[in-house]
Amino acid sequence: MAIRKLWPYRWLLLNFLSREIKGRYIGSVSGAFWALLHPLALLAVYALVFTVIFRVKFPELAGHSFILFVAVALWPWLSFQEGAQRGALAVQNGSGLVKKVAFPHELLVHASVLSTYVVHVGGFLLVLAVLALSGSDLHLLSLPLVLLLLCMQFLFTSGLSLILAALQVLLKDVEHLLAPLFMIWFYATPVLYPASLVPPQIQQVMAWNPFSYFISRIRDLLMTGNSQIGWQDAVMLAACLAVFTAGRWFFNRLSPYFEDFL
Amino acid sequence: MQPAPLIRLCQIGKDYPSVSTSGNRLRMIASLLFRRGEIPHFCALQGVSLELKAGESLGLIGENGAGKSTLLKIIAGVVKPSTGQIEVNGRIGALLELGSGFHPEYSGLENIHLAAALMGMSHSEIDRKLEDIVQFADIGSHIHEPIKHYSSGMVVRLGFAVATAMRPDILITDEVLAVGDESFQKKCIRWIEGYLAQGGTLLLCSHSMYHIQTLCQKAVWIHGGRMHMYGNSFDVTREYLTYHEEKNCKAEHQEHRVHPEGIYQIRSLWLEDDAGTEIAELEMGGVLRICGVAHSPDERPPVILFGVARVDGTSIYGTHSNETAYVPGRIAPATYGFCVRLPRLPLLPGKYTIRAHAMDPEGLRLFDTVNTTLRVTGQTRDYSLCRLEHEWLPARPDFAERERGVQE
Repeated sequence: MAIRKLWPYRWLLLNFLSREIKGRYIGSVSGAFWALLHPLALLAVYALVFTVIFRVKFPELAGHSFILFVAVALWPWLSFQEGAQRGALAVQNGSGLVKKVAFPHELLVHASVLSTYVVHVGGFLLVLAVLALSGSDLHLLSLPLVLLLLCMQFLFTSGLSLILAALQVLLKDVEHLLAPLFMIWFYATPVLYPASLVPPQIQQVMAWNPFSYFISRIRDLLMTGNSQIGWQDAVMLAACLAVFTAGRWFFNRLSPYFEDFL
Repeated sequence: MQPAPLIRLCQIGKDYPSVSTSGNRLRMIASLLFRRGEIPHFCALQGVSLELKAGESLGLIGENGAGKSTLLKIIAGVVKPSTGQIEVNGRIGALLELGSGFHPEYSGLENIHLAAALMGMSHSEIDRKLEDIVQFADIGSHIHEPIKHYSSGMVVRLGFAVATAMRPDILITDEVLAVGDESFQKKCIRWIEGYLAQGGTLLLCSHSMYHIQTLCQKAVWIHGGRMHMYGNSFDVTREYLTYHEEKNCKAEHQEHRVHPEGIYQIRSLWLEDDAGTEIAELEMGGVLRICGVAHSPDERPPVILFGVARVDGTSIYGTHSNETAYVPGRIAPATYGFCVRLPRLPLLPGKYTIRAHAMDPEGLRLFDTVNTTLRVTGQTRDYSLCRLEHEWLPARPDFAERERGVQE
């Protein structure tokens, strides 16, 4: 299905989106506060373990606090992890609709991923604002580029989620694979450490991890303000578009059969 | 000019994959992706061809599991058919199941928005129609409460209200009317009648033959995944009801049927007209002969019982050969034949079961039951099962006195 054909369904996507965002916190008293709590708690734990107990120090910090170092990477990573995990289960959770109403099933996945990004990017901006106000040295001028990177990251997440969601309907194993997969992926990504500390042999392997690119690039932009655009960025943009397109092909190829398996 | 059909189905079939092992699952994904190879499956629907023109109304009937809902889902676009082509030219409003497209945590109002968005309405369109929808649903202040606290009838009200607001070219409903209460059903039927009168097209699936007959011009009977019958809704529903009556009857009798060797039993049973030719159909008021061959294990002639019943098992008449001291004639060793003649058969047109039983010569124990069916044909405006001999007479003068007596 051409992406153009989704245009008449924009109201539905909007509806799904607001349903996802509201639905997550519906019935909870403090609403969106919980969206911030999880990453904040993680950040606090990492700060405690690494700065108080391990007392880590590495040259990349260069005057910045470890909290800032982790914070600029944590929100982008969490939007990916949570977005992919939610997206992977979106079709299965929406089985009530898939079985009874005709609509493009990919909207369910897009809404799940997009809502996660909306929530976490919102939280990210808030945290950046707090950090900047509390006197941290942040290069906020490169924020538009950061948002662009997040958009690329979103395309990648959506493409991956579409494949996972389709497989989840047909295989059911995907759900159980997700937790260990993302746990390993998290530690294989330079969120808690700078890529430079990694031994060179492993660095070569890590170069294949798209998130070592995203995270290092976002951190670079915000902490050093290095806004040079190179060929690597172009390759990554193309790769993200390719993953998104491949995900949609895979998903839409299988989506007519979802009803048979749900 | 012939109007193009709104819906055209051509040899539609649907297979559901039956996968059990994980190896099968992986192979299946590969074959789905690259569109080749065979997947083990079971067949839910096969070779269905239909056309529905604008302004037509079609009823869909069949037993549970016959494939009605699958067919509706295919037409609504929820399910992709495995074989055949489908062509739909128009906006479809489908009420496939109770509360389809509703989220239990949301209030009625929010769900109206969601369901309307699923049907392809924009925000402004929904806001314009919101008042009508709320009014049609008529569930009062519950509209602000989460759907999970609704009764199933209220959910249907809401669903139907959204569908009506959309004014689809084709309305598809799957057994949802049955949940509403009497007055809401009437309201829905009134709405559908108005919708049909304005040229709307309806596809209704129901187990209520009354709804099918009142709302649909034509009906399709789906049986075992195939189109069993298509035609005028009255004809199809009548055949369908007959089928069910027969089925109930069969289920009842299977329990009693015992056929061990060496008992008195009816070996064969057939019907004849007066000329001795075998028949299954008879003009009302004609002559019917019920003939048969019975087996006797001890060479003594058995007592024969025969009865006439409606296809649903309601018995009309029965008698046995002892009553008139009739003795079946011996036609071979341990074999006896019998024949009973019914002149001027008074049964009204319809389908009947003729039964015969063999009893021991003492007429004490009944051993078996053999059935055959008879269709009585003819034109009459009489009611019920059989015509009783009667004549109409003029009133006598003393009827007036009787009336006065009543008044005093």
